[in-house]
Amino acid sequence: MKLNKLQKSMNKDGIKRRIPELTVSGINKKFGAYQALADVSFDVIPGEILGLIGPNGSGKSTLLECITGLLPVESGTISRQGRQLSLEKRKQVLWYQPDNILPFAEQQVATTLSFFQRIHGVGKIDLEQLVNKLELAPMLHKPLQSLSKGYRRRVLLALALLSRQPLLMLDEPFDGFDLRQSLSVMGLLRECRAGRTMILSIHQLTEAEKICDRFLLLDQGRVLGIGTLDELRRQSSLTTDATLEEVFLAIT
Amino acid sequence: MPLLEGPPKHHAAVARLVLIQEIRSLLVSPALWIMLIIVSLLVGYSFFQAVDLFSQASRTALSFPELASGMNPLEGIFVPTFGAYYLSQTLLLPFVAIRLIGLDKQSGALKLTLQLPLSSLTLCGLKLTAMWFVWLVSLLPAASVLILWHNLGGHIYPPEMALLLAGHGLYSLTVISIAMFAAAISDSLPTAAMFCLAATLGSWVLDFAASGQNGLLGTLGSLSLTGMLRQFENGLLSSAHVASFLSLALLFFLLTVIWLHPGQRLFLKLGKSFISMILLCFAVSSALLVPTYMDVTENQRHSFNPADSRALHTLSEPLTITIQLDPQDSRLLDLERDVLGKLRRSVPKLNIKYGQTKSTGLFGATESDNYGLIQYEYDGQRDQSYSNSENEILPIIYNLAGLQVVADSMPTYGGHPLIADATGSRWWFYILLPLLFVCAGVYGRKGKW
Repeated sequence: MKLNKLQKSMNKDGIKRRIPELTVSGINKKFGAYQALADVSFDVIPGEILGLIGPNGSGKSTLLECITGLLPVESGTISRQGRQLSLEKRKQVLWYQPDNILPFAEQQVATTLSFFQRIHGVGKIDLEQLVNKLELAPMLHKPLQSLSKGYRRRVLLALALLSRQPLLMLDEPFDGFDLRQSLSVMGLLRECRAGRTMILSIHQLTEAEKICDRFLLLDQGRVLGIGTLDELRRQSSLTTDATLEEVFLAIT
Repeated sequence: MPLLEGPPKHHAAVARLVLIQEIRSLLVSPALWIMLIIVSLLVGYSFFQAVDLFSQASRTALSFPELASGMNPLEGIFVPTFGAYYLSQTLLLPFVAIRLIGLDKQSGALKLTLQLPLSSLTLCGLKLTAMWFVWLVSLLPAASVLILWHNLGGHIYPPEMALLLAGHGLYSLTVISIAMFAAAISDSLPTAAMFCLAATLGSWVLDFAASGQNGLLGTLGSLSLTGMLRQFENGLLSSAHVASFLSLALLFFLLTVIWLHPGQRLFLKLGKSFISMILLCFAVSSALLVPTYMDVTENQRHSFNPADSRALHTLSEPLTITIQLDPQDSRLLDLERDVLGKLRRSVPKLNIKYGQTKSTGLFGATESDNYGLIQYEYDGQRDQSYSNSENEILPIIYNLAGLQVVADSMPTYGGHPLIADATGSRWWFYILLPLLFVCAGVYGRKGKW
């Protein structure tokens, strides 16, 4: 049995093929008559950062919630290594950090961070390091609801990075950050990615281009393209110096 | 940080952490502390009023010992005092309980907690447990009342008190479950609050409208939340009412579990809800078909003399009682409380019919001479009487059945009259307790819990 699996993971030249971390197949989602996602399919390669790129309302958040199981789908499957993931199984494999949430807003930031640190079984030193990297120390004893938008985003990012699931999905992680902060967050994400796969839903194409390995272009719930920037450039017949923004405009 | 893969090995630890977090979320809520301040004021006011009235009645009872047997602290002190809890549980508790789910939905915290390695059932169970803990905190004014009453020299009969507490506990549990369900199906906190208040106030209105009514409305009234709570206040433990309360609470809890997770398809949720309702309707019907009762009152006021109960249990033929009284007539209400209720719990085959339903005719006089008559029929024999007293009705039934009953000797209940002044403890309910709750609330607002 183990031999078969190993054989399947090798190609004809005997080189180990990368088994997708997650396979999304034929996701269809409707809100009433409105088709929010239409036959969305893609693979996520282990260790990569996949950017979900699309304008507001293109279905990025809906797709992430469907993958997590927070929204029911009309059809489609989420599988890992050939096995379909049940709702319970998905909890072990992926963690989704939604955008625009304010969890336990009346409690001190330290209390909320400590809660998730203990929930995920992360050490206190790791939490302290994360707090220092995100410069959250001065805000620890304030309620989350009293923080500025930027600090709220940092707390949410900390909550996401405390999770230990192999696949991390972040919805708009750079929203609310200025350029310097965005660069700092990118550095942190790269630092924390070791052995971890990420799906980032981003509508700022400049940031996406800097951090993502591959891109899934989404518009009106449909996949318009998927691949590295070079692959997308070729797909849209653009030159090698074309930006992601130009590629996106060409494809849409 | 090492990555986690495979099933987490610490479900119990996660559940414990989530429970603490849920309790903390409630403790930082201003709604909770406002409710506790109001409860403290209401309980204090009700207690002082009750002690004052009880003392006035006791003065007369101490002069006329035959009246003393009517001086019962459960009815005179504790039921009116706990009326304050009924008000808060009906009108205020829903606002606190709704936050358990409603605020999590509104803030987005639910999207995170639903990803924890806990099932929806466990998550809802933990929320309910957290709310139960808060309910226990809310009993602080009630505990103060018990201590004060005891220190004033008042009598407390533990079984009656335990049943009263159990009734309020079940009532609260049901209200909390309804509130959680309302929050689970609503998109906003105000909508959930309106849904929940419609249920609790609707039950109150139903009980009010059904008071003194027979037939379907009367039955519905007795099965309303308020009607069921009254059974516990009366000191009569009824399996049907316990089962009804528990089933209602369980039904709304299960519905909350079913509707909490947004990832379930609508038709699946509807199907599961339908099955839950059918199963629980079946459970309630079973409990209603074979009711059992336990009179926990100190004076056994819901029971005949044990010899009478034994004799009535032996009646093998149907006993039919036809009553010519208006449902609103006070004589019928007395008859129901003093005789019919006890007969229902003692006679195996009892058939009660209501004949005349109008006490006044066109010009205000009674319509017929039969008005007020109560007819008894057993094994083809008939008798009738205008009396609504147990002492006259039981001999009629024994005569029809050919029974000779000698009452068992029972200790005489002398009542517990007490002239007391509780006003000295006003500072506790009106100042110190509210101040304590204000401080706890301010501490919570700083996010320090």
